[in-house]
Amino acid sequence: MLRYILRRLAFAAFLMLSVSSLALVLARLAPGDFVTGTFGVDVRSETAEAARARYGLNRPIGAQYREWVGRALRFDFGRSLLYDRPVGDLIPERAANTAVLAICALLVATFVGLPLGVISGSRDGAVAHAIRAASVVLLSLPPLLTSLFLVFVAARTGWLPVGGMTSAGGRDFLAHLVVPVAALALPLAAMFERLQSQAMQHTLAQPFVLATLARGVPRARVLWRGALKVSLQPIASVYGLVIGTLLSGSFAVETVTAWPGLGRLMLEALRARDIYLVAGCAAAGSFFLALGTVVSDAGLALVDPRTTARD
Amino acid sequence: MHSEPRSFNRLAANDSSTDLLASLTHAKLIRIDRVTDDVEPWLAESWTRSDDGLRYTITLRKGVTFADGHAFSSADVVFSFDAAYAVPLSSDALSINGKRLSVTAPDPLTVVVTFPSLFAPGLRILDNLWILPRHRLEPALREKTFDRAWTVSTPPSDITGLGPFVLTEYVPGQRLTCVRNAHYWRTDAKGVTLPYLDRVVIEIVPEENTELLRLQSGQSDITNSEMPPEAYATMKRAADAGQVQLFDLGVGRDADTLWFNLKPGILRDDPRAAWLQRDELRRAISLAVDRQAFADAVFFGAGVPIYGPITPGNRKWYAASVQHPPHDPARAKQLLASIGLADRDGDGVLEDAARHPVRFTVITQKGRRSQERGTAILRDELKKIGVTVDVAMLEATAVIERIISGRYEAVYFRPAFSDSDPANNMDFWLSSGGQHFWNMGQKTPATDWERQIDDLTRRQVQTLDEKERIRLFAEVQAIYAEHEPAVFFVAPRVFTAASPRVVNVTPAVTRPQMLWAPDTVAVKH
Repeated sequence: MLRYILRRLAFAAFLMLSVSSLALVLARLAPGDFVTGTFGVDVRSETAEAARARYGLNRPIGAQYREWVGRALRFDFGRSLLYDRPVGDLIPERAANTAVLAICALLVATFVGLPLGVISGSRDGAVAHAIRAASVVLLSLPPLLTSLFLVFVAARTGWLPVGGMTSAGGRDFLAHLVVPVAALALPLAAMFERLQSQAMQHTLAQPFVLATLARGVPRARVLWRGALKVSLQPIASVYGLVIGTLLSGSFAVETVTAWPGLGRLMLEALRARDIYLVAGCAAAGSFFLALGTVVSDAGLALVDPRTTARD
Repeated sequence: MHSEPRSFNRLAANDSSTDLLASLTHAKLIRIDRVTDDVEPWLAESWTRSDDGLRYTITLRKGVTFADGHAFSSADVVFSFDAAYAVPLSSDALSINGKRLSVTAPDPLTVVVTFPSLFAPGLRILDNLWILPRHRLEPALREKTFDRAWTVSTPPSDITGLGPFVLTEYVPGQRLTCVRNAHYWRTDAKGVTLPYLDRVVIEIVPEENTELLRLQSGQSDITNSEMPPEAYATMKRAADAGQVQLFDLGVGRDADTLWFNLKPGILRDDPRAAWLQRDELRRAISLAVDRQAFADAVFFGAGVPIYGPITPGNRKWYAASVQHPPHDPARAKQLLASIGLADRDGDGVLEDAARHPVRFTVITQKGRRSQERGTAILRDELKKIGVTVDVAMLEATAVIERIISGRYEAVYFRPAFSDSDPANNMDFWLSSGGQHFWNMGQKTPATDWERQIDDLTRRQVQTLDEKERIRLFAEVQAIYAEHEPAVFFVAPRVFTAASPRVVNVTPAVTRPQMLWAPDTVAVKH
């Protein structure tokens, strides 16, 4: 087990370094830089060059990268050009906001998607058809559209705040959470429902289920205990990846709902060509993905001990 | 606002968010009224001009203090000039032909500003100067770190100004909060101390649709910038339902434009060199595009045809007398034929003498919908006369980089004019200017017509007779129309919106459209 964990940690470190290095190099090679974006076209070349020298953007990419890697290995990801703060301070703040959103969305998606999947996978009536249809619709909608629709509903009804994490001086954090959580959770719940429904159908056709029912165990108990645990494998295998993806931040949802999370930070950094912040966000994203993979493997091991045996 | 401010120091950054914050927290000696376009005294109470027109003696208001209670004096004005000249970005805006203004302070309430040469707009140039507190920023200037002073990581309590509000909180990614400056110097006609508002909260909402939905639902009071044309119909319905106030500010002063890279030698190895930089090509494009159809498609009818960089929105300087070519695709084809571009194989696409297709690439800004739609219309309109246009949409920073580096064939972009007075936009008109986009920073004028424009522009700037200035500038516009180095098609109308409870707001077509005069804005309870 220790070997397994060490291997995973080494992989996570490799992933973080390679992804953030690639992000830094690509952001540096892309046309334009932070100075171009800040000053626009109406600036003299001497002005722009002076600013580049001040930010260290006039140095060759190799030298810049070597210096950055040297510091990154000591967990110093440089200073954000946009926010004039250490990247290492900015990312945890935004990652925490994204984590709140991600955990809430995951909980909602799990507690809605799983039971609905069990119901639609074990029945064949109007309710099951309605659940399937709703899932297909939600899965087909891109997150940008879902977010815009929910923001529109919130604005029209006036029930919920539109955008932001809190109102100025307000204590309405939970109300602000509803729209972005719903925008993330709805398609996720639909995905869980579809996976769980198919797995449940497959499980219910297994001989052990028939045998258990024949012994007189109530159907509800068979469904919600025995069959549910066995049928969790597909969801368990994607759960960690979903966690990793959610924690990496969602550009679309965070931008539309003005949620100050990691996804929006990455987008701002890319637009401003804040190369150090881009690299830092990429490192955080890859860390969360690696973490998600570990969680996924652990989850799979819980529901199917044979996977651990293979390792 | 849509994005974070790049700095709390307006002299070091010129993005719209920093500009809005400066409007709330700082003040100038004189200010241009964004509605009437007139110069009005602000921290300066009055001024006189010397007979030779070079020296202005400015008397400052008495009893003015910064938000931290420190008295304002002429030393702060001299300091602000020094600070502005220490940062190249703001230095350019306060220079005349590359030369600085000379400033002295004979006493605490008097400032003498001497111009290096005659400058017709006079003190109008001081609209570019924000007055900053010497007592807070002098060490940074002395240590040559002024351009790094008051960055966004500076605690708001360190920032003080002469504006109606004081920054008290900045939550990155969320909001900026400003509260009333208790030491603000202005009162209204009834003697009530301004500003009327106790607090202004600027929410950072990156998405335009979300911003408008917030306004409609009453969760915000004002949008900082103009509305996109596609939002007009929805907002009009909301206005009819009493949910918002809609302001039609008339024709804007800035418009999207198409220009070719006219730098000599840039097409050295390109077989299209013989025609891509010719006047006839640009004039043909101008004739081929139906500007009214363009306005209908790109701006949903909310735009007017234009033929040069000065739009009818710039009432004082727009030369209505300049001849405008009608929409005439047949004449466009004749012009192209005159430079050897004809359909030689009958496929509907023009070719040059060496049978290369008449084809070029236009780069434009991705995500800016008026430019995306505009280039689509251009492609369709030019296809009708046999010219093929390839559109490359790039992110804003990439477009700017291409313009500055000169690595492009043609660009469709929106240059912004800093002021309605052409004397404050010399960089665009002079061939040596950094905003003379089609061929920037020429050592000597590349063409005769550019030499003529240079000459007329210099005369116009040094003439104190306003009628003569207008006549000279009309002549500049006529020469421009003849050669169209950048082809303009449509100027959009500008719309802004506010919640019904906002009163005294005086929106303007230039930024910050809604809060350029924040001290008199109020809300109904």
